[in-house]
Amino acid sequence: MAGQVKRMIDSIIEQRAKGNKVLEGVVKMKLILKGIDPKNFDSASPDDLTVIGKLHDLMNEMK
Amino acid sequence: MKAVTAFSVKIDVEDAVADLKSQLSTCEPVMVLFFASPAYQPDRIAAAMADAFPAAVTFGCTTAGEIVTGRMLAQSVVALALDSSSVRSVRVEVIQNLDAPSYDAFAAFERHFNTPMADMDPARYVGLLLVDGLCRKEELIVDRIGDLTNVNFIGGSAGDDLRFSATHVYANGTSHAHAAVVALLEPVVPFSFLKTQSFTPLPPRLTVTRANEAEREVVEFNHKPAVVAYAEALGVAVDEAAAHFLSNPVGLVFEDEPYVRSPQRIKDGSMVFYCAIKEGMELSLLQSTDIIADTRMALAAARAEYGEISAIINFNCILRTLELRQKGLTEQYGNIFAGVPSIGFSTYGEQFIGHLNQTATMLLLY
Repeated sequence: MAGQVKRMIDSIIEQRAKGNKVLEGVVKMKLILKGIDPKNFDSASPDDLTVIGKLHDLMNEMK
Repeated sequence: MKAVTAFSVKIDVEDAVADLKSQLSTCEPVMVLFFASPAYQPDRIAAAMADAFPAAVTFGCTTAGEIVTGRMLAQSVVALALDSSSVRSVRVEVIQNLDAPSYDAFAAFERHFNTPMADMDPARYVGLLLVDGLCRKEELIVDRIGDLTNVNFIGGSAGDDLRFSATHVYANGTSHAHAAVVALLEPVVPFSFLKTQSFTPLPPRLTVTRANEAEREVVEFNHKPAVVAYAEALGVAVDEAAAHFLSNPVGLVFEDEPYVRSPQRIKDGSMVFYCAIKEGMELSLLQSTDIIADTRMALAAARAEYGEISAIINFNCILRTLELRQKGLTEQYGNIFAGVPSIGFSTYGEQFIGHLNQTATMLLLY
């Protein structure tokens, strides 16, 4: 399987920034500081379970 | 809005606090933020400030040098008083025991402001963070806060005049060690953030291929011993590398903006930094530029975008302060802020979005 990391990153950015461009940048930088650089993932990126776990935790925080 | 700053160099705690109280007497503060040299006994100054301003929330920390409107100081205490025309509401909490921190503080914020942290509008609220400067836990704290809320927390790591023995944070009359103070403010006035660092990225890239994150240690860059790869990127011999640490740190570069990570020392072939760096991070080698010119330009850009500044809280890295002292530029740096009520201190680390080095992070109120 591939592309789940990219989908989760997009979802987190959308969920947290709600279209605010400044917030989108902040959320991307927070992810980079966690070691997850959005630019390194696309729809063909393998589904890395460690990264998916981190992103899943982050998605739950904002529910 | 009403923002009043004060400073005292009186040696005795009670005399210094009385001096501050006298200078701040034109303001009826809802909060008093203060930064004090560790020469002032921490328990006594925390209690004396709370006693002097019983109607206000008082909080602050120890420093490695103080900043007040137009001046850089040492062995002093500086304070900023904000009244109800500046801040509608403020709540201060302490995060104790940074080895196993509880984030109950954020539940207290939710109760105080009657809003879940996750729903708080970052255009309406702002957070201040003051952390024990020797805890080496800042990245974890900032990361956790960043997960909990979109509200921006800006701040600094407390100092102790380069003794590196103990730093303290203060909240409502009590001094705390190995702790962090978090304050959540609802300003009446508009506000913005300024992050400025005097570095420009150079072409070489250093990818962290092996790290010991807990120890803030990079073992390998580009699959080579870290110091070897760093020296190669600089074009210098390995034994000359450490001499370049201050002028050539490394940084995460995002949207042309460096987030500086400063090397502290070489440990065998590894490099130990002043903040944690994760495996896989791609870093740029940085080249130092002019702190005075860059800070002046950053403030001018803020004024151009948002208007006249009414108050500044400045968290300025001790490494920047040391460079300014070494070059005899502290007066010039202080002058950049002349005319604007401002306080700050020389920090052991700066926080904005993440934990940073060799940076000044500032909260600007308009």
